Amino acid sequence: MEININGLMKDYGERTVLNIESLLFESNKLYGIIGPNGAGKSTLLRIISGLEQSTKGEILYNGCVLNKPILKHITFMSQRHYLLKTTVFNNIAYPLTLRKYHKKIIENMVDEIMMDLQLFELKDQLAISLSGGEAQKVALARALIFEPQLLLLDEPTANIDPNSIKLIEKLILKRNKEKKGTTLMITHNMEQARRLCDEVVFIENGKLKVQGKEKQVLV
Amino acid sequence: MGYIMEGVKEAFNLLLSLDREIYSIILLSIFVSFTSTIISAVIGTPIGLFLALKKFKLKKMVTRLLYTFMSLPPVVVGLFVAIIISRRGPLGHLGLLFTPSAMIIAQTLLITPIIMGITFNNAKEQGQEIRQICMTLGGNRWDTLILLIKEMRISILIAIVTGFGRAISEVGAVMLVGGNILGHTRVMTTFIAMNNSMGNYSMSIAMGTVLLVISFIVNSILYKYVVGD
Ligand SMILES: Nc1ncnc2c1ncn2[C@@H]1O[C@H](COP(=O)(O)OP(=O)(O)OP(=O)(O)O)[C@@H](O)[C@H]1O
Ligand SMILES: [Mg+2]
Repeated sequence: MEININGLMKDYGERTVLNIESLLFESNKLYGIIGPNGAGKSTLLRIISGLEQSTKGEILYNGCVLNKPILKHITFMSQRHYLLKTTVFNNIAYPLTLRKYHKKIIENMVDEIMMDLQLFELKDQLAISLSGGEAQKVALARALIFEPQLLLLDEPTANIDPNSIKLIEKLILKRNKEKKGTTLMITHNMEQARRLCDEVVFIENGKLKVQGKEKQVLV
Repeated sequence: MGYIMEGVKEAFNLLLSLDREIYSIILLSIFVSFTSTIISAVIGTPIGLFLALKKFKLKKMVTRLLYTFMSLPPVVVGLFVAIIISRRGPLGHLGLLFTPSAMIIAQTLLITPIIMGITFNNAKEQGQEIRQICMTLGGNRWDTLILLIKEMRISILIAIVTGFGRAISEVGAVMLVGGNILGHTRVMTTFIAMNNSMGNYSMSIAMGTVLLVISFIVNSILYKYVVGD
C-alpha cells in the first residue's frame, strides 16, 4: 500500500505536535521512523492507522482517503498493546477469526507463527499471565498473522531479549522480501534501522528532518 | 431478644414446612426480579457501552442524568408507574395495575439505569482500548460490541448482579404497583413489610433470612466465577 501524506498537522490544544508538509511511503517497502522522545512518531502512526484524527491535512492510501475497506488492511501495534483476556492462541488467532477463516487454516497459521517466534509452549497460557516481552511478541504475532497491506509498528523490539529480536527482525524482513505490504517501524535502535530498513525517516519536534537511504540519514 | 431467636427458628420451620404459600411468594419474588434483571441487562449493557465510547454533544448532561437515575427512590418509580398504568392513566386500558407485569415494569425502570451506569463507568476506562484493538485488527461495529462484552464480562456480570440485588430487595415499587395481593403479587419484601407492621416479627425475620440466603447464593456464584476466571 502506498501512503501519501500532505500538509499533515496535529494540535493538542495550543501545541502543534506534528507538522509534516509532504511525505511518501512507497508500496511494499520497509521504513524506519526515528527521532527523540516526544517527537511525534507515535502520533504520526496513530493518525495513519485511523485511530486518531489529524487537525489538518490529508493522507491518501493507494490514492484514496481512508475508508472501511482500506482500514481492514491496516494494522497498528502500539507501544501499549492490549491483549484479550483469553489464551495466547486465541489472541493470535483473533484477526483470522474476524475474517472468518476456516478453523483448520487458523490453527495451521497460528502454529506456524508461534513456532517462528518461539511462543509455542505458551499456546494455551492466559495472556494476562505472560511476561512483558512475551506479551509483546504475542501482540506482534497477532499483527503479522493476517498479512496486512500496511503494518505500523511502534517500537516492536523495545523490552525484547537479543535472541527474540533476531526472530522478530527475521519475520519483518521476510514480509518485506515477499512483498507482503508496506511496513512503518518506529525504533530508537539505529543499528536496527540500518540492518532492516529500505529507508529511514527522521522526525524531530513534529517536523520531518530527513528522509532517505539509511546511510544518508544516520550519519 | 427472644423473638429474634424465635424468628430464626421460624425461618427453618417455614422452609422445612414446604408451605405452598411461602414458596409461591419466594418463587414470585425470584421470577419478577430475574425477569426485570434480564430485560434491564439487555437494554442497559449495550447502551452503557455505547454512551461510554461515543462522543456526542450532550454527553456530560446525559451522564449526569444517568447517575441521578441510578439512585432513584423505588417509591418514586413505583408511583410513576402506578400513575401511568392506573385505570385513568395513559396505559390504563392494559389493566396492568396490581399484576406481576406491573412489578416487572417498575423494577426494570429502577435497575436499568443501575446496570447502564455501572457498565458505562467501567467501559469509560477499558472500553476505548478494546474498541481500538478491534478496529486495528479489522473488526466492524458488531465485532466491537461482541468483543467489548467478552472482554468486560466480569464487570458486566457485577453490574447485573448488583441490579438483581437491588430489584429483589426493594419494597417501595412492588408495593405500589403490585399491591401485595396474596397469591398474586405478594413477594418477599412486601411480605416482610406487612408482617412487620402487623407485629409478626418472627415471620418477618424468617422471610428476611430467606432473602439474605438468596443474596448470598447469587453473590457466591458470581464470586466463584470471578475468582475462577
Ligand atoms: N492526547 C494527548 N494530549 C496532549 N498531548 C499529547 C497527547 N498525545 C501525545 N501528546 C504529546 O505529543 C507529543 C508527541 O507524542 P508522541 O507519543 O507522538 O511521541 P513519540 O515520538 O512517539 O515519543 P516516544 O519516542 O517517547 O514514544 C508529546 O510531546 C506528547 O506529550
Ligand atoms: Mg512513541
